[in-house]
Amino acid sequence: MDLKGKIALVTGASRGIGAEIAKAFGEEGAFVIVNYLQNEEKAETVVDHIKNQGGESIALQADVTDEKSVQDLVAKVVDSFGAIDVVVNNALPSYTFNPKTRKAAWAMKWEDYQKQIEGSIGGAFHVCKAVMPYMKEQNSGRIINLLTNLIDLPLVPYHDYTTAKAGLLGYSRNLAADLGPFGITVNCVAPGLTYPTDSSMETKEDVREEIARLTPMGKVASPEDITGSVLFFASDWASFVTGQCIRVDGGLVMK
Amino acid sequence: MNKEQQETQAYFIPDTIQLTSFTTREFESKQGKLILKSPTLSGKDIQFITDTIKANQKNYLDRLQTTEVIDIVDAAVQKWLDPDYHLRKFAEKWLPVITGYDAEMIRLELKRFLRTFRKQELLRFLVEEFDDPAVLDDFRPRKKGGLSKAYGPNLILHFFSGNVPGLPVWNLVMGLLIKSGQLGKTSSSEPLMPVLFAKSLEEVNPELAKTLAVLPWKGGEEQLEQPAIKAAEAVVAYGSSDSVENIRKRVPAHKRFLSYGHKISFAMVGQEALTVDRYRASIHRVAEDVSVYDQQGCVSPQIIYVEQGGSVSPREFAQLLAKEMDHYNHKKPRGPLLENEALAIQSFRSQYEFQMESSVYGHPADTSWTVVYHSEPGFEPSPLNRAVHVFSCTHLEQVYPKLTAFCQYLQTVGVAVRPNRLFKLSEDLGKAGVSRVCSVGKMAQAPAGWHHDGEFNLLNLIRWTDIETSAERHAEHYDEDSE
Repeated sequence: MDLKGKIALVTGASRGIGAEIAKAFGEEGAFVIVNYLQNEEKAETVVDHIKNQGGESIALQADVTDEKSVQDLVAKVVDSFGAIDVVVNNALPSYTFNPKTRKAAWAMKWEDYQKQIEGSIGGAFHVCKAVMPYMKEQNSGRIINLLTNLIDLPLVPYHDYTTAKAGLLGYSRNLAADLGPFGITVNCVAPGLTYPTDSSMETKEDVREEIARLTPMGKVASPEDITGSVLFFASDWASFVTGQCIRVDGGLVMK
Repeated sequence: MNKEQQETQAYFIPDTIQLTSFTTREFESKQGKLILKSPTLSGKDIQFITDTIKANQKNYLDRLQTTEVIDIVDAAVQKWLDPDYHLRKFAEKWLPVITGYDAEMIRLELKRFLRTFRKQELLRFLVEEFDDPAVLDDFRPRKKGGLSKAYGPNLILHFFSGNVPGLPVWNLVMGLLIKSGQLGKTSSSEPLMPVLFAKSLEEVNPELAKTLAVLPWKGGEEQLEQPAIKAAEAVVAYGSSDSVENIRKRVPAHKRFLSYGHKISFAMVGQEALTVDRYRASIHRVAEDVSVYDQQGCVSPQIIYVEQGGSVSPREFAQLLAKEMDHYNHKKPRGPLLENEALAIQSFRSQYEFQMESSVYGHPADTSWTVVYHSEPGFEPSPLNRAVHVFSCTHLEQVYPKLTAFCQYLQTVGVAVRPNRLFKLSEDLGKAGVSRVCSVGKMAQAPAGWHHDGEFNLLNLIRWTDIETSAERHAEHYDEDSE
């Protein structure tokens, strides 16, 4: 796979799955923009890692839920590097995946949903909106949105989080329909429980074991398991694939 | 794969004439080799051929009823509409090799084109120009009194075009409808199709085919063209402005001379065609118009005017058009270019690449498609071969002042506008010199009976003889049985 010279923006890339995706792009020769919200130090660690591997990278702060902040980020990328080829919408509003403390349906508040919709769909929306004019001008572009396999199989019903991610799938497919004629693809990657990450730290052994037992591949995902599918959608191999969603969960969900 | 070698005549003459000296041209492709055999001609040959044609026209074609001629042409065209017809298969195999056009494109367009010469279209075509087509057969009464008959030239000399395969078929059919003998000089870029069509006519009616000759020679060869022009009653010339002018100079004033020279066509897309439910179809149609026959036809748009206010902006239109032309190129790749043609596209791109008010969208690796976007309306021809300008305009009406300097060159305008704009727009385009307004997506498919370059087709070739009422009445005096 050759992503040499491609400019790839990964949101929420200072840690977890985002950081692994950023590193994977770096290894494949892309110039990686490591976006972060607060954790500059960790973002720089990712950048250093990529550079140490011989890659090119830069960390840029932006709040994806803030339209202006995102527009500035994208404009800065294009001004500095001349293009934006790949966007990975990975950032999510802080969320703790704890099966024991999650809210039941009757405890949910509308504001809980609103927060997740703002963060998941809103964040991706602002980024997509900001990169569209540039990708149209290039007559090419790859947008990859991170979902969750919980939208298909809510083993643990994180109502607000999963509903927002399901909405993001709908958003992505509609986006794919309108951007296809411009040569821009929009696809999704839906990981299963990925451990260890900061978000999944509180998903304890019992649940992880249970999921592993149900999973044909016999384990839960680790962050580096997710990267291959993201790279695939960014590569020329996926040039005619759009509006799709790959579940990366060891076969737990089969669709 | 078995490589085969085929030889065929690149000429057609009445079968009573024998030519003795020939040259050959060879074309190689993956499928094999085609050898085109052409006669080495002298002025005497031309004279003999034209004399023979004129005699056959007088003794046979002139005596046919127009409806009989139509039936013969229809029978020949019906053959071509059969996918297994041997000459169609031959044309589909070798025209792409000779012309460089994509095989699939030729297959589709040739079929579409020939469909416009079936009986019903020919009848319509005649009615389009003659209130009563029977005037071609006999004296017919006129409303104001008297009678009139129309005579086609006994011999038409054609200088065929070579940019679009099959176009000369149109000229041959036109000549037949007015019962003229015909000599056609083929272009070296497409010497085959008129010969094949003459062969089909021969299969249907050998006598009629004896009024036709199709010959290749190098344009401007005085020793052949001089006797050909001398023999002809009318001359029809296609070509560049220079070559048409060169022929015109040599045609005496008393002979009919029709010419079809350099023309520029364009498209106008109103904001109503760019609503969110319509824009993709509009862009698809425009991409077809730009891409078909690699933009070589005079009906192909070189410029697209796109109105602001739709759900896609003119710039987005240009971006989408580029992508759509890319898709077309995947389906039907553009033919190979000569070096100067490729250079013309490269310099076209570089001319606009660094201008603030323009953007260039082109195939990243080659010249197979190019769209140049301009933020202000203008008028500029493109280097063709699937290179096109997109001009943004606030209103389509903004375009007219840009057209004035090009009045004599304007031809087809493909439009996508709502009904209540069509008339006004067409009226203004007509004033600007445009001769044809059609839908986008149909620019390459001029219907039979259109006013080619704003003129009649048959009417310009025929001459009339009137029997006036006075002669009719006066004749009565001499009726021996008159009371």
